Amino acid sequence: MKKLMTALLALVFLGLASAQTLVMGVSGYPSSLDSVDSQDGNSLVVSAQITERLVDFVPGGTDLVPSLATEWSANEDATVWNFKLREGVTFHDGTPFNAEAVKFNVDRWNDPSHPYSGRDQGKTFVPWGWVFGGPLGEGNLIAEVTVVDEYEVQFTLTQPAPFLPALWAAVYFQFDSPAAVMEHGVAYGTPAVGSVGTGPFKFVEWIEGERLVLERNDDYWNGPANVEQLVFRGITEPTARLAELQAGTVDIAVLLSVDDLASVEADPNLQVAIPETELNVGYIALHQGNEPLDNPLVRQAIAHAIDRDAIIEAFYGGLGVTAQGFVPSTMFGQPDPWPYTYDPERARELLAEAGFPDGFSTEFWYMPVSRPYYPAPQPIAETIASYLADVGIEVELMTEDWTTYLADYQTGKFPMYMLGWNADYADPDNFLLTFFGPSAVTDLGWDDPETRDLLQQARQVADQDVRAGLYAQVGNNVAEAVAMIPFAHNRTLNAMRSNISGWVPSPLGYSSVSLHSVTKAE
Amino acid sequence: MTAYLLRRLLGLVPVLVGVTLLIFFLTRVIPGDPATAMLGQRAAPNLVQRLRTDLGLDRPLFLNLPKARETGVWTDVLDSQYFSYMSGLLRLDLGRSIYTLIPIAESIRHRFAATFELTLAAMAFAVAVGLPAGVLAATRRGTVADTAIMLLALSGVSFPVFWLAIIMIYVFSVTLGWLPPSGRLSIGMSVDQVTGMYVLDSLLRGRLDVAIDAARHLVMPALALGTIPLAIVVRMTRSAMLDVLGQDYVRTARSKGLSERRVVRVHALRNALLPVVTVIGLSFGSLLSGALLTETVFSWPGIGRWVYDAIAARDYPVIQGGVLFVAVMFAVVNLLVDMTYALIDPRIQYS
Repeated sequence: MKKLMTALLALVFLGLASAQTLVMGVSGYPSSLDSVDSQDGNSLVVSAQITERLVDFVPGGTDLVPSLATEWSANEDATVWNFKLREGVTFHDGTPFNAEAVKFNVDRWNDPSHPYSGRDQGKTFVPWGWVFGGPLGEGNLIAEVTVVDEYEVQFTLTQPAPFLPALWAAVYFQFDSPAAVMEHGVAYGTPAVGSVGTGPFKFVEWIEGERLVLERNDDYWNGPANVEQLVFRGITEPTARLAELQAGTVDIAVLLSVDDLASVEADPNLQVAIPETELNVGYIALHQGNEPLDNPLVRQAIAHAIDRDAIIEAFYGGLGVTAQGFVPSTMFGQPDPWPYTYDPERARELLAEAGFPDGFSTEFWYMPVSRPYYPAPQPIAETIASYLADVGIEVELMTEDWTTYLADYQTGKFPMYMLGWNADYADPDNFLLTFFGPSAVTDLGWDDPETRDLLQQARQVADQDVRAGLYAQVGNNVAEAVAMIPFAHNRTLNAMRSNISGWVPSPLGYSSVSLHSVTKAE
Repeated sequence: MTAYLLRRLLGLVPVLVGVTLLIFFLTRVIPGDPATAMLGQRAAPNLVQRLRTDLGLDRPLFLNLPKARETGVWTDVLDSQYFSYMSGLLRLDLGRSIYTLIPIAESIRHRFAATFELTLAAMAFAVAVGLPAGVLAATRRGTVADTAIMLLALSGVSFPVFWLAIIMIYVFSVTLGWLPPSGRLSIGMSVDQVTGMYVLDSLLRGRLDVAIDAARHLVMPALALGTIPLAIVVRMTRSAMLDVLGQDYVRTARSKGLSERRVVRVHALRNALLPVVTVIGLSFGSLLSGALLTETVFSWPGIGRWVYDAIAARDYPVIQGGVLFVAVMFAVVNLLVDMTYALIDPRIQYS
C-alpha cells in the first residue's frame, strides 16, 4: 500500500513536472554539441539552444539581427570588420563573454596550431572550411582576430567580404565557453560533457541514443525561456515520429513525411508548422564531359522534355514550387524565369537539329536518400525517365551508396544526376558559388571563366544592387548554357501538439529555430 | 572440459586477428572515405587534404615505409593506420568515433546492454511460445491445431518486421494508448545504471514503477523482434519432435505403459531439443549483432543501427570496433551452445 502511494505520488509529481517540459522529436541525436565540429541539423538544433552566434536571423526569416554582437561595420572595401559585443553576458559556467572569448573561439577554429584546436585528437571543424574557406594558410578568409577592447573585436580578412555578417549568422558558428573547452579538450561536446554557452538553455544530460535534456537558464540575457526543461528525442522513422506526436509523447515533431500532411491536418490535437519558404533547391545536373551532353542543343532538349510542374504536383504534396533558377525566389539576384518550359515537340526538334532524330541513351543517377528538395528520389527519377523516353532519350536509372555517390559525382562518373542543396547562410553566394564556381569544371564539365569572374566580383562588392545584377547575370549564363536544370524548392512538414505556440519554422530549417519563446499551455 | 574450453578460447585468437584484418581491409575497399562523407558536396581539395591530416588518413594503411626511410628508425614502419589500430586494441583502446568523438568502448557498453535486454526479451518470447506450440503441433500432427500453428509460423517468417512494428505502434500506442510508441523509458523516468538493462536495474534499485515503465517500452520491440525466431523455433521443434516420436525407444516407452504426457516430456522432448538449442543459439547470436529494423522503428539504441550508420558514414573506428565486438559475441554464443549440448545429452563429451 505504501509503495502504491509512493508510486501514485510520483506520478502526480511527474505530471506536474512534465507540464513544463517540452519534448522535441527529431530524426536523430547530435553528433556533437561542439557546434563547429558538427554539421547536421540534429546536432545544431540542440547546440543552438545552449550556445549562441554573433549574428542571428529574425524568427521565421532571413534578415539579420544582433545576437551576441550588437552592431558591426566594415572599412570601405569590406576587408576589415569591427563587431561590438553584447555587454554583461556570461557563459553558463560564469566565464564572461567578451572579445577575448570571441578571439579564443575563432582562433581555435581557424588556426590548426592553436593549443586548444584539438585537431590532433580528432576535432575537424568541417563547417569552418565550408563557410570560411579553410584554416589559416589553407584558403582562409579570416586572417586575424584582434581584441580592440573588452567588448569590441576586429576581423581582418584576406579578401573583401561584404556579406561577412551573413556568414557569422550561419548556424554552425556558436560560441563556447573558453574555460569549458580548455578543461574538457576532445571530450567537449560529447555526451559525457555536453557544451557550455550563453544561450537560453543549459546542458543537463545526454544518454546516448535515448534522450538529451536541457534546463532553462534563468539568467539568460534576453529573459528566461517559457519552458523549464527541453528534452530531445531522436526518432529515425518519420512514421514513428508522427506516431509519438499523435500519442502525445512528443510536443513537436520535425521532418514528417509529406504523405502524412492530410492526417496531421485532420487531427484536432495537432497543428502543422510549415515555413513560408525554405532555402533549398533540387536540380538535375548534366555533365558535359559525356557525349552527347556536351551539345547545348541536347541539353536544351532535355530541359524542354521534362514536365517539372506535373512531377512537383505529384510528389511534393503542395509544399514545393517549380524552381525558376538556382537561388530560392525569395532571395535577391533573381535571373529571368527559366526559359525551357515543358514542350516535348520542341525537344524532339532540338534533338533532330543536334543530329539525334532518333534520340540517344545515357545514364541517369538518382540519390539513394531523400532530402527536402527531393522527397522521393526514385519515383521522381522514374517519372523523369518516362518524360525523357517520350522524346526518344533512353536513360538507364542508376544509384549507389550515398557516400560513394557524393564522391563520384565530383569525378564526372555520372552523365546525368540528381542533387540539391540546403543553404548554410542566406546569400546567393552560398548557392551559386557552390554550383558554378571552380567546382563546375569537375562536377558539370562546364568551364566558363566569365561566370566564375562574375561570382568572384559579386563576393567582393558591397552594393546590394550591384551584387543582385551580377547574380542575375550568373543565373542567365547558366540558363543559356543549360549547365544544370533547376527542379524544385521545397518546404518541410513539421507538426506540433495544439497546446504548443511560439515555434516559428525558419527558411533555414528546423535547426535554426530558437526554443526560447516556445510556450506549452496546460 | 576445462582443457576443451581453453583450447577453444585460444583458437579464437587467430580468428579475431583475422577478423580485424578483414574488417580493416573491407572498410578501406568500399569507395568513399570519411573525408568525402563529412565534406559531402563541399569537398574542395584543400579541405579534403586538411581533413585527411586531421583524421590521420594520410598515413599508409599497413606499412609506413616512407617515414621509416626518412627518419631511419625502423619502428616508424609501424606508424600506419592498421598498426595504430592494433596497438590501441592491445591496450584495450578501441578509439573514438570520427564523428561524435565518443569513446567506442563507452558506446558498446551502453548499446550492448540495450541490445542484450531486447534480445533476451525477444528470445524468451520466442522460446516460451515456440517450444510448446511446436510440441503441440507435433503431437497433434495433421489436426486443425497443427495446420493453424504452422500457418502462423509461416506468416511469422514472411511478415516484414518493419510493417509489423509500425502497425503495432499504430494499434497499441496511437489508437489504444496502451503502450509507449518507442524509446526505453518515459520522459521523467530515470534509473541508476548497474547492468544497463533497465528492467533489471530498476528492480535491483527497488524501483517497481520504473521497472514497469521499462517493461512496457520493451513489449512491442520484443514481440516484433521475436516473431522470426518464434517461427523458426516452432518449425524446428515440430520436425525434431516428429522425428523422435517415430523412434523405437518412444514406442518402447509407450508400450511399457507410460503416460503420453510422460513420453512426450521426458523421452521425446529432451532428445528433440538438440537441434532446437542449436537454432535458438544461432538466433540469439544473430539478434545480439543487432536488429536494425526493430531498433530503427522503436528508436532502440542498440548495436545494429549504430554499426549500420557507421558504415554509411565511413566511421572507420566504429565499424572496426562494432564488428569486432559482434564477432566476439558470435564466438561466445557458439561456444555456449556447444557446451549446452553436453548438458542435454550426456553422451556428448568434450576432449
